[in-house]
This record gives sequence, C-alpha cells and structure tokens, in this order.
Amino acid sequence: MAQRSGAARTRSRLTLRLMAALLMATTGLAAFVACQPKPLDPREALIARGRDLFFNETFDGNGRTCGTCHRQEENLALTPAFIATLPNDDPLFVAEFIPELRENFENPRLMREFGLIQENQDGFDSLATRFNMRGIPHTLALGTSVQSPAGPRTGWSGDGAPADGSLRAFAVGAVIQHFTRTLERVAGVDFRLPTDEELDALEAFQLSLGRQQDLTLPLPLKGTVAARGQAIFMDDGLGKCNICHSNAGATTSLGGQNIGNSNFNTGVEDLPDHPARLTGERVPRDDGFRTPGDSTFNTPPLVEAADTGPFFHNNSVETIEGAVAFYSGRAFNNSPSGRFLAGIDPKRVGIQLDATQVVAVAAFLRVINALENVRQSIAELQKVDSIGFFDRDRGLELLQRAAHETDDGIAVLSGAGLHPEAVAELVRARELTRRAVGSLINRRGYAGDAKAAHARARGLLIQEGP
Amino acid sequence: MITTTREQHRFRGRLAACAIVAALLWGTSFAHGQKSTERYIPIGMSPGLSGKYTSIGLITDVNARTRTITIADSAGPKTVQVTDTTRIWLDRSKLRKSNVSGRFTDLVKGRRVEAKYEHPDRRHVAEWVKVEITVP
Repeated sequence: MAQRSGAARTRSRLTLRLMAALLMATTGLAAFVACQPKPLDPREALIARGRDLFFNETFDGNGRTCGTCHRQEENLALTPAFIATLPNDDPLFVAEFIPELRENFENPRLMREFGLIQENQDGFDSLATRFNMRGIPHTLALGTSVQSPAGPRTGWSGDGAPADGSLRAFAVGAVIQHFTRTLERVAGVDFRLPTDEELDALEAFQLSLGRQQDLTLPLPLKGTVAARGQAIFMDDGLGKCNICHSNAGATTSLGGQNIGNSNFNTGVEDLPDHPARLTGERVPRDDGFRTPGDSTFNTPPLVEAADTGPFFHNNSVETIEGAVAFYSGRAFNNSPSGRFLAGIDPKRVGIQLDATQVVAVAAFLRVINALENVRQSIAELQKVDSIGFFDRDRGLELLQRAAHETDDGIAVLSGAGLHPEAVAELVRARELTRRAVGSLINRRGYAGDAKAAHARARGLLIQEGP
Repeated sequence: MITTTREQHRFRGRLAACAIVAALLWGTSFAHGQKSTERYIPIGMSPGLSGKYTSIGLITDVNARTRTITIADSAGPKTVQVTDTTRIWLDRSKLRKSNVSGRFTDLVKGRRVEAKYEHPDRRHVAEWVKVEITVP
C-alpha cells in the first residue's frame, strides 16, 4: 500500500514537472515569437529595399552611393562642416585618389570649403569649361515638391533627371554623373545602370522621406517673433514669401490658386561676392533649367530649410537669416522674379524687409523646422514600440534617426536664441534617446519618455488643439 | 482703409491673372528630361521613355532630302523627322566605348536606333536619336 502510494506520488510529481516544463516551453516559445522581427508589408519592404540601395549600392562604380552625398545624419544633404570630419579615403573624395577622376570630375577645394559638387547639366563635351558647381539638396518632402503641371521637377533647376524627367529616373542620371569610374562613362564598364526593380525601390524610399503633406498656415505659434515672422511671410503685400512658397512648401500660389512647383529666375547668380568665386577657382555662371538654360531654378520647400543650409543652388549664403535677407537685396529685386513682384504691387515694390523683419521671418522658418524635427523624432520613436526584441539593429537605427532630428531641432532653435524652454525639453529628449540606445531591456521605456519630452517641447512652440 | 482693401483686391486679381497665364503655358509643356546624361544610356534603357515615347528598331529607310528615317518598330514602321535641334548620339556601349555625338549621316539603313518623340502628341518629330554602333 505504502509502495503504491509512493509510486503514485512519484508519478504525480513527474506529471507536475512535465506540465511545468510544457508551460515554460510554451511561454518561452510565445515570448520568442513575440520578440521576432515583424514582417514588413509590401510597401514597407520596398522602402526598406530602397533605403538599402540608397546607402549601400555602388552600382559597380567608383565606390560612391547615393548616401555618399545625401547623408542620413546630415538631413540627406551635406555641409562643409561634416565634410571636414570625413576620412580622406571617403568615396566623396574619389577625385583626390582615383587617377582617372583627378581632372574635370570634381573641384576638391570647392567641395571641401563650400560643399559644392560638379555637375554637367549642359553636356559632357567641354568638361574643363562647361560645368556647374552646385550644393547638395536634401531629399526630404519630395512627395510634396516634385510634381508640377509641367511635369516632374527634380534637382536644383528642375531638370536633374534624364529619360522621362521623373524622380524614378533621377538615379540613372546620378549614377552616370557621380558614380563613374572614368570620364568615359560607359554603361556596363564604368558603372551599371539601376534595374527597373531598383528604380522602383529607390523612388519609394525617396518619397517616404520627411513630410508627406504640406502645412496649413497660419499656425497658432506661441513665440511672439516667430508669429510676427509668419504674418510677414504670409502677407502678399510685405514678405510675399507665401506666393512662391505656399504654406512654406515648394509650390506656388497665385491669387489663391496653387499652380504646383515652379521655376524662377531670382537672381542668385547675380549676387556679388559669391563665396566660391572669391577663391579664384573657375565657377561658370549656372544657367539653370534646360540647355541652353533660361536661368531659372525650382522652388525648394522651406519647412526643412533652417537645418539644411547652406542656401540656394550654389551654397552662396550660409545662414537662414542671410537667405531671407537675399530677397530684400538688389540681386533679387533686379531679377525677373523681383521685377514681376514689383510689377503687380500697387506701390511698385518688390520685397523690402528691414533687419527685424528678416529675423522674424527666419525665426518663423526656424520654428516650423523645429516642429518638423519634433514630428519626425516622435514618428521614429513610435516605430521603436512596434519592433521585436531581436530586431535590435533596426531599433538602434530608428533611435539614431530620432536623435539626429532632435539635435537639429535643438540647433535651429538655439541658433537664434528661440524658445529656450522648448530647447531644454529637446535636450531632455536627446538624453532619453541616448539612454534608449544603450539600454538592453528598457529601450521602449526610454523611447516613450523621449516622446513625452518631445510632446512637451511641441506644446511650448505651438498652441495644441483641444 | 478702403484704399488698402481695394489695393489688396487689385493685387490678388493680378496674381490670379498670372496664375491663369502660368497654367495655360504649363498646360502646353511636356516633362523635361535632362539630355546630358541621356546620351550615356544605352538604347532601350531610358526609364519611363523606352518603348513608351520612343520607337526602337532597325532603320529601313533614310531620306536625306526630307531628313526623315523609317524605323521598323515592333508596333510597325515609324517615320520620324530629324530636325536641326534633334540630338543624335552614337551608342557604342556594346563596344565598351563612350557614347558620343553623331550626325545625320550616321543614320544608316540597317542600323538599330531608338528615336524619342519631341512630344507625345507630335510623334513624327524626333527630339533625340540613339544609333547603335557595333563595329569599331
């Protein structure tokens, strides 16, 4: 009896252990499955493929990728300050270490000093004399800025892409211009052209960057100077900015009708003391759209302007205040665009803003840029919530992107002494994001706290809705 | 105050008129593809253009007097005019050589070409023609 009872106890214990083991295994399996990277939907997968191509694919060329010039940590552009941090063997400097590209491919001095890239929009027949020196435009908010009734407008002068001129075709022209191993530019020898699948992915990725829609101005801004700047910006009789940069975007609004992205000759090429020309290096006059050009350049969006300087197609102005002041100067007011504005003005005035007004408009641009930084940071931090424990690399990438945006928000506000309390919240958000990067088990917690700090910063910049 | 309002109305009216003119002008234009890098794209590989807004095939006839060429396109024979502004490029990529500018005399019967129409509605005028060169 006692033996039977002992055997029954042993069986019972064994059963319990088995059940416990089964329970632990099931729980462990469930946790393992929950922590696995979630599969991307087809659109997200295409964008991820495009991102990989953009930053890693050299197309069998000289080693450059799209990301060589459009750096993630530089708002998909490039500044001389960042260039100065790069090692000498960075593919950006191929003209300095690939003998076949030493002449007539880039101007290393102008690249390092002013972030200028050599372009041959008007043809490759006279490489020594016929070229343009242009800055690197960011690729944010392309979905709101490329289309126009006259067809797509890409690059600084609207004619950056070969073939059908579309954003999808842009990569083909970029590979030919910038990725080549030699100046012969033979497809299949000096580079390979992107496939249709790669062009689809690159386009999807580029269209996914930044804002997907324009703002609706006016915004209920809290800052006194920025609010005044917004009023000047929108005043068609004073700042007149909103005519060509409707809602601080890249489309033109005339008499209440939006006519899409447009090209204008604003006289930037007529600026005196253009920094690159002061060096004595050859910097031919850039004739803009078409060949021969009509001296027009297309309108960039302004929401992203404050953290993507230097400004204009030739990086001729370093600060956002300088860029706003340009429109009250002689070069603009004597240009076809300046004369057009004066022609339709009852007082025959183009744009004449005083220093306080210039600073106010710039403050407005800084604040809407910071609001966009906050929006982007929150969006990246939110994505951290939805990724699995084992998808750590992706989580870190999202956190780093959030951190870059936060840094930009801090820089654009503090650069003009704007909203110190909001800056303090952004600094907090930056620190929390940094902690999230370093945390193994509380990444989401820190990311959530960073989001909250961003939300508080936003609340200090703008009246929130009910 | 009334004057200001009137002036504002007048100003907006002028802007609206400009918008209408701009819209009319743009309604007649066509997407602009950059020509300088186009030259280096081999025949049939121009994204969004090749086979859609271009004819690709062997030249079956050349008329120097009317400056027209006839192309045996897969959709049927196509005759296009080569004007003074039409760009002609020699596609030497199969020879692993750089593509260079060409002339009307390079448009020889039997050569494979791709001709891009000047405008979707004017398919008889070529904006550019690429001629495949396979013999050094």
